[in-house]
Amino acid sequence: MTTVRGVRAGRLGVGSGLALVTIWATAMAMAQTAPLPVAPKLAEAGEALITNQTGDSLSVVRLSDFKVVAELAIDGKPAGIALSPDRRTAYVTSPEGKVVTIIDAISRKATGRFPAGKGPLGIAVNPVGGRVYVADWYQHKIMAHEPVTGRLVGEKSVGQSPSGLAVTPDGKHVLSADRDSNQVTILDADTLDLIGTVAVGERPFGVTVSADGRRAYTANVGSNDVSVIEVPAWSLIGTVPVGRRPYAVAIAQGRAFVSDQYAATVTVFDVATLAVVKIIPVGDYPEGMAADAAGRNIYVACWSANTLERIDAATLEVTGKVAVGDGPRAFGDFIR
Amino acid sequence: MSRRGLLWMMMALLLSQVAVGPLDAHGPTRQKVTEKVEINAPAEKVWAVIGSFQDMNWHPAVASTEGNGGNTKGATRVLTLRPTGRIIEVLNNYDPGKSLSYEITAVDVKVLPVSNYTSTLSVEASGGKSVVEWKAAFYRGFLNNDPPPELSDEAAVRAIKGVFRSGLDALKAKVEAGG
Repeated sequence: MTTVRGVRAGRLGVGSGLALVTIWATAMAMAQTAPLPVAPKLAEAGEALITNQTGDSLSVVRLSDFKVVAELAIDGKPAGIALSPDRRTAYVTSPEGKVVTIIDAISRKATGRFPAGKGPLGIAVNPVGGRVYVADWYQHKIMAHEPVTGRLVGEKSVGQSPSGLAVTPDGKHVLSADRDSNQVTILDADTLDLIGTVAVGERPFGVTVSADGRRAYTANVGSNDVSVIEVPAWSLIGTVPVGRRPYAVAIAQGRAFVSDQYAATVTVFDVATLAVVKIIPVGDYPEGMAADAAGRNIYVACWSANTLERIDAATLEVTGKVAVGDGPRAFGDFIR
Repeated sequence: MSRRGLLWMMMALLLSQVAVGPLDAHGPTRQKVTEKVEINAPAEKVWAVIGSFQDMNWHPAVASTEGNGGNTKGATRVLTLRPTGRIIEVLNNYDPGKSLSYEITAVDVKVLPVSNYTSTLSVEASGGKSVVEWKAAFYRGFLNNDPPPELSDEAAVRAIKGVFRSGLDALKAKVEAGG
């Protein structure tokens, strides 16, 4: 379980306004003048991109042998992550740096960054068209950015401290878990018009939409449960008690997997019956969770243990652990 | 932080009233602190000093410990500090001889400039000696953007490091003195 330091991108100085402007301008210029050149194929799909918030980096974990193959420096305390529809571009929020860093997952290099409000944390990409949505924790709004350039194209106020974001698979709706308003806000993904709000449990943090687009789940840090929302009726249809301080939800094989930060467990429940089927011990402070494309495995980043752990979605056993950087959060969509 | 620094910090607060703010809002960046000390004594001897959730008097900043529930999950304790200040904590996990995990349920940020604080204190045998590790996860005391310096991330980390360092050093001295 040693961390292999491979490609290390140049550190982008958030503190240096000039550097930031230069980088941004370069990214803008590249986007406006020519399509991005096709990069040499260095990385295959089948990777987890893990934001290490304390350590200011991104660990790239190859899923086939579950090894760290690269670590990129990203300053500003990176936390949230989302991937472009083709899974080749990653967008990483740095809440302290107040920026989103754009990473080419193929060459494993940071290719640009754009400013994003005062406390960017949650981030999601529209699977149709690639628009990037960023939640501003402090200014209580959702910002919409153009892909690649990061140009701000719209913003909308939502409830207090929006944290997790998700976009429905049809690309039509953005869901925001408004942590300190105990609600989910639903916006039109194109116009950002308010579609509605749904009251959920206390302090919803992560929000996940199922692959069939018919359900949404919030992990409620305050009430230690998961709210189940029917889509597109936008109605609360169930509540499932889980371990203490749940953070995020991932879905695979008809089951929901919930990271319980304080309990250091993953609670698994059946999405049809909403009955808990297993509570799996994992490393301390499990946070970001995601399933691989086939739904075979669930991956969970353990913030205190500094590990990424793999759970077999069928047997519900932990089948692997790998050491990543310091303070992994991987809050969002991080498997490519 | 020296013991004097810690005492100074605690003296700076006059509020004896404990502010309750368990699930309050917090900033987006959780902090972590880990401190260790090697003690020239077997782990059992160390555990005999630190292993009761109802007695944290081995820490120089703690004047007294009062609580309920012994060492069972959910047990509570109130730490009364020198010269003033109170911290209320709940036990989350107890592994006899090895570790105890707890969280702060109420503290004034003037006592300790943190929020959403959890901690694990553990001891591991290492030859005839032992290594004590104290880990914490927490957010800073100021719940919004642009904190004042005394409630910043750095201030929170500094305060916890100070508490841990003074506690672990005192623990080492106490155990090695053969108390």
